[in-house]
Amino acid sequence: MLPIVESLLWGNRWPSGGLLAPARPSSIIRHSLCNRVKKALAVMIQHNLVKFEASERNNNIAEYSIIHHNVYCLLRYPKYLYMIKRIYGTSEEILLEILLNLGQASASNVIFQSANRLKEANDDSEFSDPSALHKSFLKLAQDNFIIRCPKLADNANIQKVPTLEVEEKEKFTVPHLEIGPIAKLLKENATQLGEHGDSEVIWRVNHERFDVELRNVILVNAAARRVDATAGELYHLILKLWRECSNPDSPTTNALSFNVIKDAVRKNEGSSPVLLEHFEQYLRVLYEDTSSLIIRVGDAGGGQFVLNYSTVFENLACATLDSIVLERFGSKALRLFRLTRIQKFMEQDQMQNIAMIPAKEAKMFTYKLLEHNFLQIKELKKGTSNFAPVKSFILFHVDLPQQVARTALEASYKGLFNAMVRQMHDLTDNKRLLDKHARLETLLETLRGEGLPEDELAYLSDSMTAAEKSLVARIHSMNDHLTLGQTQADDTILILESYLKFSSMT
Amino acid sequence: MASPVVIKKEKVDEPRPSPSADAGEGQTEAEIECRMIELMGEFPKGINDKILETDMPNVDKKVKVAILNRLLSQEKVNIFRAAVTKELFWCLKQQPTSKLKGVDSEEKIVMRIIEEAGNKGIWNRDIRTKSSLNQTTLNKILKALEGKKLIKSVSSVSAAKKKVYMLFNLQPDRSVTGGSWYSDNEFESELVDVLNQQCYRILQQKAEGAKQKPLEGPLIVRNASFLSSKEICQIISDLKIVKFNLTVEDIETILDTLVYDGKIEMSSTTDGYSDGQVKTYRTVEKILSSAGIVRIPCGVCPVIKMCGTVGAVQPKNCVYYDQWLD
Repeated sequence: MLPIVESLLWGNRWPSGGLLAPARPSSIIRHSLCNRVKKALAVMIQHNLVKFEASERNNNIAEYSIIHHNVYCLLRYPKYLYMIKRIYGTSEEILLEILLNLGQASASNVIFQSANRLKEANDDSEFSDPSALHKSFLKLAQDNFIIRCPKLADNANIQKVPTLEVEEKEKFTVPHLEIGPIAKLLKENATQLGEHGDSEVIWRVNHERFDVELRNVILVNAAARRVDATAGELYHLILKLWRECSNPDSPTTNALSFNVIKDAVRKNEGSSPVLLEHFEQYLRVLYEDTSSLIIRVGDAGGGQFVLNYSTVFENLACATLDSIVLERFGSKALRLFRLTRIQKFMEQDQMQNIAMIPAKEAKMFTYKLLEHNFLQIKELKKGTSNFAPVKSFILFHVDLPQQVARTALEASYKGLFNAMVRQMHDLTDNKRLLDKHARLETLLETLRGEGLPEDELAYLSDSMTAAEKSLVARIHSMNDHLTLGQTQADDTILILESYLKFSSMT
Repeated sequence: MASPVVIKKEKVDEPRPSPSADAGEGQTEAEIECRMIELMGEFPKGINDKILETDMPNVDKKVKVAILNRLLSQEKVNIFRAAVTKELFWCLKQQPTSKLKGVDSEEKIVMRIIEEAGNKGIWNRDIRTKSSLNQTTLNKILKALEGKKLIKSVSSVSAAKKKVYMLFNLQPDRSVTGGSWYSDNEFESELVDVLNQQCYRILQQKAEGAKQKPLEGPLIVRNASFLSSKEICQIISDLKIVKFNLTVEDIETILDTLVYDGKIEMSSTTDGYSDGQVKTYRTVEKILSSAGIVRIPCGVCPVIKMCGTVGAVQPKNCVYYDQWLD
């Protein structure tokens, strides 16, 4: 099916340049294509990658378009699982994994499949009570990590292309489930759930919530680096409070008062004694810091504190860009870049003098930065004399949102894509070898389970030479390396995308 | 021999009235000159034609002009043009003209121009435009003056080959020599780097010392890691890295470069002792350790623009990836 999917994507006249190129909002496919295409589309819709709506020109034809953010988030699934495991525990992680695999599923189905998975993992010895899983599901829904899918609208039967909608207040409410039938089916070792009461209520993973969580991780790390680990703890708490009281889409959170924060710190069981003792000092150090992690806006209730996403992500984006300039061009170029960014407009001579870099080197780095779009030139003409040649000032400046951040973001996409291509290439080149190794391993496992003596197993395992085995090990480590690299590139992409999103909001 | 010398006494005639002297008041040129000098004394800001008219209306204009020109050539008066009205003013020259003795008029002109330039010095070509002298003549004069140790040439730091001339005993201005960081018109980048690292290390040590007492709370820890520019200057001077005296301004320029490196931050506070703001500095951690993208070869690749799915530069056979994955 993959070739069909790919041909669908490429055939829809996207700008070329890789899977992650920003897609055009909608593409037109005739509804009367062959069945395989239909099936491919259905699978993608099931996994929330494609959505459909009635065409503007003709209400009887559906237009399908890619939800490219969701496609991109496919890369982040391992991160999601790790986060859920860290915040809650294993049963929630299993629930999420099942839901990610299924794409969209009803609550009972998810719970049933997770219980099955747990049973297999524990080798049928334990019977995991689905009610515990039900509680975990409720927790996930409460914290908005999963969200209800839109269902068929009331007048859907009349239209050729059905519309889907969901009410705002019902997005996170779990309907009443009947645990009893699920438990019974589990005992009978059934593999399918069959009919159940809430099959109309379908859930999917809420990517926006996970994005917020990923951003929070970055912010907490920043706070911990700036001050110390206890400050990171405090900041984590404050972020939770802000999330509970503010709209997730607004660029600034609502204000929290000092007393509210204090109460929360007192009530929190995990607060360290240092935090409790020096709570005001930590708060003060955080809001006086120049990184805008907390901004104090008023004095009511002991002090009002907000978080302005655009300022804090501007600082983070600047730190990212500084790091990129530093690694690519060197520390002197970094000094020039930061100088121009802080002072807004600078002449070449001024830059040399203030940065205390010898003239030749300063000129070289300035022009290198100019070449790679980190600096821009603005020419101001001086003098209106018709006789003498007009003297013009050449000023350098940093155009953060338009030029620099977008260039860096495109470069990051390209880097991520290259890492993926390289990974795919490595795996396909050595596919034969890896398959052979995998087959051998499974064979050895089953035979060991059946109790074959060790020397026979050793004889079998010698069918692969040591060189081949070391090569396989090397391929695996390269694979891991590349996956790790992709995760790190994804971090940068998250920061830059968030910065561009919030700066365009204000 | 002892006959008394008979001095013939002739009747002294009235001085022959020269055509330039007006017979009306019977003033001599010398008297007119004295009167003019008196007037200039009364009006230290200068006298113009109007004042002369009111004072000596009967004196012919040509006489006045001749006298004034003579005074000018004797270097007793200066001539100026008023900015607004464009009138000519004459005033007494204050400076002693003793040191210009023994030089001729062209040299005097050149000397005056160089004197006016003060301690910034003046370029050869500018002297030429101001004095309208010939190039060769000018060169001769400059050599002669240098030989007499009245002027000297100093090479400017902004253009290595450009020489400016100034009076012999003047100290060249900072803009010419470049200040403390230039020696022999070369920018001492090693010295700047050494001082840079030294300042950063001092601030780091202070911050480390402050972190040793975490129990007192983060505010105390933060405030204890500040150092003012004066204190840093003191510490560096005690270390005796540089031979000359470092001023607080010099250290502040170095500290500014550290701020622009992103390693330290500055805050202005008021000090109890001195008036005005005192600049204090402390080290800060960056809010992001390093961008994720630079940890893969593509983030720092010099040929990233040429990379693609076809062509010489591809991720499949990229040498940077090969090195990184090994």
